[in-house]
Amino acid sequence: MTLIRLLIVFLLFGIETPLFSGEPQDQLQKTTDRVLAILSDPTLKSSEKAKERRELILKAIDERFDWEEMARRSLARHWSQRTPEEKKEFVILFKELLMQVYMDKVEGYSWNKIQYEGETIEGSYGTVKVRIFTPKEQPIRVEYRLTKKGSTWLVYDFLIEGVSLVNNYRTQFNEIIVKSSYEELIKRLKTKISRP
Amino acid sequence: MVLSKGSGVMRRFSFLFYLILGLGIISLIPIQGNAEPSWVLDIEEFSPVLKDGPKPDRMARLEVGVEEIEESELPVLEEQEGFDERIRDPFEPLNRIFFHVNDRLYFWVLKPVATGYQKVLSEEVRKGVSNFFSNLATPIRLVNCILQANFKGAGLETLRFLINTPLGLFGFLDPAQKEFGIEKREEDLGQTLGVWGLGPAFYLEWPILGPSNLRDTLGFVGDLFLDPITYIPSPPLRIGLKTYDKVNETSLRIGEYEDFKKVVLDPYIAKREAYHQNRKYKIKERK
Repeated sequence: MTLIRLLIVFLLFGIETPLFSGEPQDQLQKTTDRVLAILSDPTLKSSEKAKERRELILKAIDERFDWEEMARRSLARHWSQRTPEEKKEFVILFKELLMQVYMDKVEGYSWNKIQYEGETIEGSYGTVKVRIFTPKEQPIRVEYRLTKKGSTWLVYDFLIEGVSLVNNYRTQFNEIIVKSSYEELIKRLKTKISRP
Repeated sequence: MVLSKGSGVMRRFSFLFYLILGLGIISLIPIQGNAEPSWVLDIEEFSPVLKDGPKPDRMARLEVGVEEIEESELPVLEEQEGFDERIRDPFEPLNRIFFHVNDRLYFWVLKPVATGYQKVLSEEVRKGVSNFFSNLATPIRLVNCILQANFKGAGLETLRFLINTPLGLFGFLDPAQKEFGIEKREEDLGQTLGVWGLGPAFYLEWPILGPSNLRDTLGFVGDLFLDPITYIPSPPLRIGLKTYDKVNETSLRIGEYEDFKKVVLDPYIAKREAYHQNRKYKIKERK
């Protein structure tokens, strides 16, 4: 069951500055540095500031992650059958599901070396590969997939040791919708969020 | 002495023989049913979408270049690992039962035992035990590196063993990684068969052993021959060591499975797909 061990690191970005890097990697790294700065800021360490700190991290991540794109790809062919209101609701639920587990992990994580392993750019799509070094484990390989919207590169999927978050959810969502219904999917998402 | 040892080996071999034979018979089932496989019909009944027109990923690839189309109107990209590459699961009902068995086994047996064990030994010691078992299993990684023609990997695995066994207290410590930066090559026979072009065939969830597929199950059985623990003559000691290894590993990962279950809607499917994708990745990304 290595999936979750690997999933927990999805928000941990790079530290090392590589010699040459393109736009996707530069922008990803900017987010990293911001999250790192928040996590190591001594004025935010106290427990009264916990909420404020959490919101700052969330904001930094929000600017680099394209939640709608992630949700859209996870619903795949079922996305186009939804009304604009349903789409909006789904994006919010999907984001909440991911954040409620991962925020704890990001905040409690001991930061280690992260190494950039290269990037690819093809038109408006790009990937950035990193290796995360942890004290206990073998280094974990993560690949971020980004897409260019305007002048910013946004993360729409990431693969941890080859396991894509979007693909994994897509299969689950599809199975639930096909075997029961979209309403059932929303119901199950809501239960998950209220009672994890 | 010699006789009893010999018959022990024979018994082990005949057990493996029947296991392989059994798997071989199982593997024939979907092939026989190719003309009219009942489970394919089921899928089509469940999802009429599968029947219409071009697959979404084909459409998406055609239209990627068309930038005038409003973004939200673009069909969703299916990526390289789209629906086409999902693993077949003809035994899903049985696999789901075993998934449930493993789930209960974890919460009722493995987790309580590992939690108690965790309190007795420090994390450092438990990590050492894990390293020791891993060092012991070097033949598996070494031979599979060779079988994959990865001679650099084979050399480095040998080097790791030669460093860690004397300098790392029989592998308890890992100076090869810590001092020399030589990483372990996680290779097994399932991956080797994959490199040779064998597909996973279909998904299998084994009780106790967990997620697998037909190819990796054959690989697992083959790897037993390379595992020094297999050659310990006393069965209770053999099983005891394997159990201890499992408890020790679990004690280092308590909470991960719980977290996993928190973020997924269908843990069976999430586990299956994660296993499949991770194995594909390991076969592709060897070094």
